[in-house]
Amino acid sequence: MSKFFSSPVLVFVAAIALRVVLFFYGLWQDGNSPMKYTDIDYYVFTDAARFTANGGSPYDRETYRYTPLLAWMLWPTTWSSTWFSFGKVLFAVGDIVAGWLIFLVLQDSNKMSTEQALKFASIWLLNPMVATISTRGSSEGLLGVMVIALLWAILQKQIYVAGFLLGFGVHFKIYPFIYAPSIIWWLDDERLGLRKASSSKTDLISLATNFCNGARIKITLASLLTFMLLNTVMYSVYGWDFLQHTYLHHVTRIDHRHNFSPYNTLLYLNSSAPGTSIIQLESIAFLPQLFLAAFALPLMLAKKDLPSTMLAQTFAFVSFNKVCTSQYFLWYMVFLPFYLPNSSLLARKYVGLTAALLWVATQALWLQQGFQLEFLGKSTFVPGLFLAGTLFFLTNAWILGIVVSDIGAGRTQFHVE
Amino acid sequence: MRQRITYLQEPQDSVDPKALKVTENSISTPKLKAAREERITFAFDELPQELYSVLKTCRELHIRWISQNHYGSVAPLVSTLTPGLHVFYTPHLNKPDSNLLCPMLKKVFGAVDCLSPVESFTSLPSNKSSPSAATQYYQALDTLHDFIEYGKHKICAGSEKECLDRISNILLASSVDIDFDTTSLALTMTAFWPLHTQDINLKKTASSGRLEVGVLSIEPSKQPEELSLGGFLTVVGEDTKPSPTLFSFPSRHHPSKSTFSASFLSPSGLHPTLELKISSNKPPTEDRSCSLYCHFTLPRAVFADRYQFLDSLFLASKNLSTLHYITTPVDLEAPVYTVSLWGTSVLLELAPPLGAEQSWTAQIPLHLRYLLPTANTSGQSPLAVPYPVVLWACDAHEEINFSINPFDRVNLGYDGLLGSKTIFYHLSPEGNRLTNVISVPVLDLDKSKYVELSTAGVVLLAFSWVMWCLWCVLRRNGYGSGNYRIKEGKKKQ
Repeated sequence: MSKFFSSPVLVFVAAIALRVVLFFYGLWQDGNSPMKYTDIDYYVFTDAARFTANGGSPYDRETYRYTPLLAWMLWPTTWSSTWFSFGKVLFAVGDIVAGWLIFLVLQDSNKMSTEQALKFASIWLLNPMVATISTRGSSEGLLGVMVIALLWAILQKQIYVAGFLLGFGVHFKIYPFIYAPSIIWWLDDERLGLRKASSSKTDLISLATNFCNGARIKITLASLLTFMLLNTVMYSVYGWDFLQHTYLHHVTRIDHRHNFSPYNTLLYLNSSAPGTSIIQLESIAFLPQLFLAAFALPLMLAKKDLPSTMLAQTFAFVSFNKVCTSQYFLWYMVFLPFYLPNSSLLARKYVGLTAALLWVATQALWLQQGFQLEFLGKSTFVPGLFLAGTLFFLTNAWILGIVVSDIGAGRTQFHVE
Repeated sequence: MRQRITYLQEPQDSVDPKALKVTENSISTPKLKAAREERITFAFDELPQELYSVLKTCRELHIRWISQNHYGSVAPLVSTLTPGLHVFYTPHLNKPDSNLLCPMLKKVFGAVDCLSPVESFTSLPSNKSSPSAATQYYQALDTLHDFIEYGKHKICAGSEKECLDRISNILLASSVDIDFDTTSLALTMTAFWPLHTQDINLKKTASSGRLEVGVLSIEPSKQPEELSLGGFLTVVGEDTKPSPTLFSFPSRHHPSKSTFSASFLSPSGLHPTLELKISSNKPPTEDRSCSLYCHFTLPRAVFADRYQFLDSLFLASKNLSTLHYITTPVDLEAPVYTVSLWGTSVLLELAPPLGAEQSWTAQIPLHLRYLLPTANTSGQSPLAVPYPVVLWACDAHEEINFSINPFDRVNLGYDGLLGSKTIFYHLSPEGNRLTNVISVPVLDLDKSKYVELSTAGVVLLAFSWVMWCLWCVLRRNGYGSGNYRIKEGKKKQ
């Protein structure tokens, strides 16, 4: 086994083989069964690509709520029925590239041995859930490669590349904006190797001018410019539809078809009888979410361990979100290889096992209640789904607390050899 | 005003002309077993002012009401729609959509929840070969009680017993059509009563206008697309005895020998599957190309996802062929209480199995929206889903002038979609009530009292726990990188 993990070739061949097998299995299942392997969203993307290829707008396809870039990227899927699967290949390649970058970061920045780095990168590379999601044609894997590339670029001090990727990522899926505060906070003079003697001055103006170092200004401008440029181009081509479906929809949606979010039952309740609620909790739900994900976590943790902080931020963002589905779990899973090596979840086996068990069990409970509702027609909204969603949320919050403490304790405490 | 009353009999029940008693202002006969169609045409000046002002804003208005109780049909009146109230409406050429239409529908029919044509009606495709109305609305409506009350007050102004009785009788009708278009400048109301034994006693009064009464039964016809009727016609007040008649005409709508029933597979959950049981896989005629269609009129709580009907393997596994038409757009996510459009109509071609004649089934996957939370129902809400119409559509080859048929009926929703050169063979539904009721799980308000408070508490607890962990980090290691500590640690080693 150790021989396997000491060879990058073997691990990557295995990761590629896993995806190739799943890819062809998917083609076979789609061709022979009325139950499709291909994700429903993949039909949305490819339909949108077809509309675009025929000179139309991707938003002519109902429920297309992404940037037109995705439809453009999938243009080859419109060429022929063989090319139809191009997107899945693209997403799977994205997976592999993300895995490769994880491996690089673990080796270079975390100073890990090849074997160690490959072992932890395999959490992503050889993860059947990750491989299945991308070969089914879900675009979440593409996001994985984007944020890992962002992390890699920033650790390499490739400020402009990082700025571009940050702007691009936010344009693509909004949520990567939470990485902006942690990256900017992390880019301090100490990190950049610019120790200035100015630290003696403590008045606000010199603190502010000291804070605005070159790298911080560069990445802010580069990301803002990329973001605005992409939006301007898309708006000029597709107009209001682009803003409505890519951004505003996510703000105004009252999407309370049951999902893992702790707010789910509340959204159903309050949307059906507007004005009867006492505290209108759902309208301030973004406060705890953004306070943690975009302010408190970056401020306290980013300077200690940027990759793990990005995990904590994403984990907080997804757990405290008003809508939460299992595809979102991929958003934070991609950062696990950076956090787990120094995690007390691995060092203290019982804590780790309990956390994993609770994470799976509360989800299983939710899925069982969801099945009862969706297919058996039982009214499991309360207490079943509500309780299961709440327990899953509390489990996530508990784990998040452990992650925070681990990052806060630094790397020396728990080191797995 | 003109009135045409037609009694349609089975050949074996045909009336003996001697039993028809015609006087100078009446016609009567006891115990006649027949179905009945009454058609009354009103000139504009005979209508209540408020109706007239609504009609002025319409280019076309066709209202169809079909009872959910099924009593069987009689040729040539075999065409049908999904039970409930249908409105097909085209606004007047140079006028905006009428804002009078919905309030009027509410006033005449009672519980109609349409807001305005813009908000509640869906548009129908325009088809040059078979012109049909531009927009559509539908609402489940069990009874015409409100309509009858409206008619009693507005039509029978003089409180004539004759008029009141005839309007009250509409309560037993199985369908009512109201048609208006600008070319005819008249409003026609047609009602149909199923086969039953009745005493005829019709009088021509001062207000009843021309009154034509026919007693007819179906005769064998020479051409397959034709129907022949034979019997007696009488214009009350003009004829002194019934005049015998036999005439043929091409008919758009024919009965089919096959039958169907529709029911939901159990448990229905949030994604109910409607199963059609069809008695035969054979088309009604061998010398035309025919396809079997199912036409749904689905209230907004339930919908079909058109993207589900693209895969041929999936379709074949359910004995479906192609999705011919579905109302667009359909919001696939919204809960029912945020949707103002009435719902969707769907025309689906079925795929009968090949080979020897056999009964068979087709399954149609549907989806439910979230319904309003309820109290005192244990979290279940009943939802009535009306029967679809199932018919064979056969190619008529050439343009046939169906409009010479005195019983021709157009603007049914599916006829506009399938073109004017089509002959329909209607499968008759089995069962007495043409509605399936399913139970939909909803949020139970009896158990949801503390949802908001508990959600707030749980979020606060989780938030505080994470903040506590962050506070511990800040106290122990500050917000900096902590590099100093690591270096120190390494030195000690």
